[in-house]
Amino acid sequence: MSSDSDIPRQDELARERLIDLAAEFYDQFAAGEVPSMQIPTRTKSNIEYDEEKGVWVYGDRHSTRSANTVGGAQKLLKAIYVIDFLQNQLEENRSSTLRELYYLSESWDLDAAQFNSQDESNGLIEDLEIVSHVKREDFHMRPEESGAKVMGPLLIREQTNRGEREIHCQDDVGQGGYQIPNNVDTVEFLDHDADFVMAVETGGMRDRLVENGFDEDYRCIVVHLGGQPARATRRLTKRLHDELDLPVTVFTDGDPWSYRIFGSISYGSIKSAHLSEYLATPQAQFIGIQPSDIVEYDLPTDPLSDSDVNALRSELEDPRFQTDYWREQIELQLDINKKAEQQALASRGLDFVTDTYLPERLEEMGIV
Amino acid sequence: MTSYQSELGGGGDVAEELAKGQRAISIAEFFEKNKHMLGFDSGARGLVTAVKEAVDNALDATEEAGILPDIYVEIAEAGDYYRLVIEDNGPGITREQIPKVFGKLLYGSRFHAREQSRGQQGIGISAAVLYSQLTSGKPAKITSKTQGSSRAEYFELIIDTDTNEPEISVEDTTTWERPHGTRIELEMEANMRARQQLHDYVKHTAVVNPHARIEFREPSEHLKYERATDEMPAETTEIRPHPHGVELGTLIKMLGATDSYSVSGFLQSEFTRVGQKTADSVVSNFRDRHYGREMAWQPPQSHQDADIEAAITDAVNGKGKEATAAFAAAVADAVGGRDRVAHHELVAVVEEAADDVEADSGVTFGDTVRENAVDAAWREVVVGREADCYRLVDDATTSRKDDAAVEALARRVATAFANAEDARDRLTHDTLSGYVQRAAERTKERDDVSFGETARENVVETFWSVARSVPDDAPSVTETEGDRDTASELLEAMRETDILAPPTDCLAPITGGLVKAGLQKEYDADFYAAATRDAEVHGGDPFIVEAGIAYGGDLPAEGQVDVLRFANRVPLVYQRGACASTDVVKRINWRNYGLDQPGGSGMPNGPAVLMVHVASTNVPFTSESKDAIANVPAIEDEIELALREAAREMKRYLNKRRSMEKRQRKQDVIADILPRMADKLSEVTEREELHVGDSLARIMNNVLVEREVDGGHVKLVVRNFSDTNAEPDVTDIVGADPGDPEGAQVVEMDGEWFVKWSPTVSSGETAVLEYDVGDDTTFDISVEGIEDAKLTVNA
Repeated sequence: MSSDSDIPRQDELARERLIDLAAEFYDQFAAGEVPSMQIPTRTKSNIEYDEEKGVWVYGDRHSTRSANTVGGAQKLLKAIYVIDFLQNQLEENRSSTLRELYYLSESWDLDAAQFNSQDESNGLIEDLEIVSHVKREDFHMRPEESGAKVMGPLLIREQTNRGEREIHCQDDVGQGGYQIPNNVDTVEFLDHDADFVMAVETGGMRDRLVENGFDEDYRCIVVHLGGQPARATRRLTKRLHDELDLPVTVFTDGDPWSYRIFGSISYGSIKSAHLSEYLATPQAQFIGIQPSDIVEYDLPTDPLSDSDVNALRSELEDPRFQTDYWREQIELQLDINKKAEQQALASRGLDFVTDTYLPERLEEMGIV
Repeated sequence: MTSYQSELGGGGDVAEELAKGQRAISIAEFFEKNKHMLGFDSGARGLVTAVKEAVDNALDATEEAGILPDIYVEIAEAGDYYRLVIEDNGPGITREQIPKVFGKLLYGSRFHAREQSRGQQGIGISAAVLYSQLTSGKPAKITSKTQGSSRAEYFELIIDTDTNEPEISVEDTTTWERPHGTRIELEMEANMRARQQLHDYVKHTAVVNPHARIEFREPSEHLKYERATDEMPAETTEIRPHPHGVELGTLIKMLGATDSYSVSGFLQSEFTRVGQKTADSVVSNFRDRHYGREMAWQPPQSHQDADIEAAITDAVNGKGKEATAAFAAAVADAVGGRDRVAHHELVAVVEEAADDVEADSGVTFGDTVRENAVDAAWREVVVGREADCYRLVDDATTSRKDDAAVEALARRVATAFANAEDARDRLTHDTLSGYVQRAAERTKERDDVSFGETARENVVETFWSVARSVPDDAPSVTETEGDRDTASELLEAMRETDILAPPTDCLAPITGGLVKAGLQKEYDADFYAAATRDAEVHGGDPFIVEAGIAYGGDLPAEGQVDVLRFANRVPLVYQRGACASTDVVKRINWRNYGLDQPGGSGMPNGPAVLMVHVASTNVPFTSESKDAIANVPAIEDEIELALREAAREMKRYLNKRRSMEKRQRKQDVIADILPRMADKLSEVTEREELHVGDSLARIMNNVLVEREVDGGHVKLVVRNFSDTNAEPDVTDIVGADPGDPEGAQVVEMDGEWFVKWSPTVSSGETAVLEYDVGDDTTFDISVEGIEDAKLTVNA
């Protein structure tokens, strides 16, 4: 998968899958049937835990896109136009971003096939991923924003447009670290000197860890998530775990939105549950900030807003958070009605996080 | 200012003086000064009214004779004047009648008849004659020919306004090409400024008289309105007045004119819907009103301090002990056996007992003895009056009322009876009501307990229900006629009695089918609806309201809808704003029915024509010129119901049309998208071109007709994707002889063969229509019997 000789073959496979999909529609037409496709319902209520793989995947509920309605017919028309576009792109070995696809549809001869919003084109790409079982990266579709940055004792080889590069993620990079490419499968891990991986939510905290030399002192690969992590970041994290057998930890703010970030790394996100197997790292462990840390370290806090409370309640119902640990922490947070940022640890001094908090937590978790 | 008052003392000269100027004026003279009242207020209007009166007469005359009307109207410029000619194919008018019909105001056969007709007063056509002679000085020229006559009568005449008599200047016979009919020619000062109203009048007349053929020629246009049906309007019969519809003056007049002696006979012979039973009810009500009822009391109970037997024994003198005792016992027994007894019942009891004892004992009981006995017994009966009143009041009021209050009221009512002049306790409903009212007022004043309106009414009704009608004979017809109050009592009794609605064979509604036909004939619309209500009564005159709606098509979509108003099949063209039908149209919420209505009330907008027809033996107009229907609530309600009924049909149509349009839009979009999808799919998969007809028809639940040609073998495949049976007429026009295909009709015309099948295809099924022709022929298919939006033809 990650070796260079595979890539043209993989492109060919993706293209075949697309054409197969078109052929299905073709056959439906030829049989005088109403063309349609079935897509799993992408909601919280339709994800279920796959015991075998330890990740959350879509359940059995499907919705049908069919040409029976004007809306359905338009969606299918767009899908067919996108299929045509993608198979051409693969054939010509080009790539484009999701946003480019949205604008590109303006150039299509048929007005009815054009997208009304980027959400629509993004959603359609997800649909096609699901029905064709091909990842969008393999369609050569990139997200607009880049993947996150990595700092730590890791030597990699990346295939770039300008040839192969070998990079050491501490020695060969600046203060900002190594930039993960959109398609992580072009990266090969050559060597490493690390004991564990730590995914950090905020840029400020990553910079603090790097400045304090945490990555060197604790032989840690620090991965910056930058909010809700991009697919590439999640994929990289999973590969670090699977290929290098490193424990993965997640360090975020102490609020409901940050728990979801952990959730998407650990359990897979709802929108891309079809790719959970490929993106999720079920073994990832949550460092904090835990609600119990807020109490224990008496951190400076903000009160929970209404939307925070709603988000926490919704997490209590989220199948991914149905564990004793999470139920306890969420209920505690609802009880104390407070949240704290990672930077709140600075109230105990700039070195508190690297000298005290993280070592204590990591020891508790059995990582160091 | 001269004050006559001050001169009155001086003598009777003023009245004399005034009397010199007072004289009877003829109706014709009156008209001369009040032309506007009859619709002749201007030259423009006068022309419309004259046309209208003449055409109305023509239609009435032909209809009465059972002739399909053929009417010719011509307006031509004639020097300074306009010449108006109206011809009909009616039965004609006899020589004797012609001068009176055209030369005398208020002459006609209609005024006294209760029957639906266009004209009623006999003013119309002679008013037109009068108007023309007043403005042009020319006489009216009348030609009339009756069936079977070889020559036509010809008159030239004017009306003598002093005497209201015709003044004939020419009387002759002439030849006329029509086999029968009447022609009138008038010259009058006029103008064509009311051209629009004239056209409206003629057009609307054609709408509402689809059985008539009308030709209309005016200086700048020549229009023909053809007949849409040969069906004549139903013949109408004259009916007698309905008891609910007469007024006091009319009633007294009728009482004076009748041959009947009894009121019952009078009612049965002079009114419609009155038989023996109804007459009895009316008479009974009449007697109650005239004489009142007699209050019936419970006979003395054992615990009460009253003894009829003893009282009678005391009152009867010198009849022997035995006979007296037998008599007293018989009366006491008979009274005691009754629930209640009224004075006249007591009289009857005493009479019977006296007769019996007389027969048994041979002792004579004279009138005086009997009267004394009645008085004595009655005194005993009324001893229990107060207690009885208490029971009745208690029954009538709710249990929440204080016992003392009930007692107080009962006592006061009983006292009122006791103090009444008529010892027989005979009283009218009004008097009884007065007793209760006063008793209640007093009770409120003195005891501070109020009995509300309902409670008082209940008490009155409870008393009235136990009171007995008196056996006295109802006043005779002569007595009733002679006394205004008695006549008024009879009228009230008539109104109070429930009587069947009048028969409706005196009315001739246009009927739903012909309303639609009429609208269809004159308006090119997409949809027509009509509603005819059942007959109702207003003031004793039955009436029927009909409504019609035309929608869409060539009707202008902008601006307000047109409202066509008709009374007895006559179009009303003036005073739209004053008409009840307009008011009703404005108060209906037309948005409910799919018409645009700015502000939710008032005249609706949109491509529609509304029609309202009121047929009655007496249409109430706001004025003598008969331009607007008066705001009578009973008629307004019926107009509203009729319009709503027709509007509901329109709404259903519009809903269906909207859903069809929606379906068509969907079909248009899908029919645009599917082929593009198919093209793209062929391109991506690099396979041959796709046909999407089947998928499209399936999506639209349509009926699909497809052609397959293989050599000379033609297959028409009809697939029904809808959920109902399809029965299309499929016609294939073929350029070569198809032979004799199975199940098809073949007609050859000018080298083209029309092959027609009418298959029935159930939901989800397929029918295959096959035939053989040579190669290289042409096809042209047409499929009918299935709405376009539900049909996909691919052949």
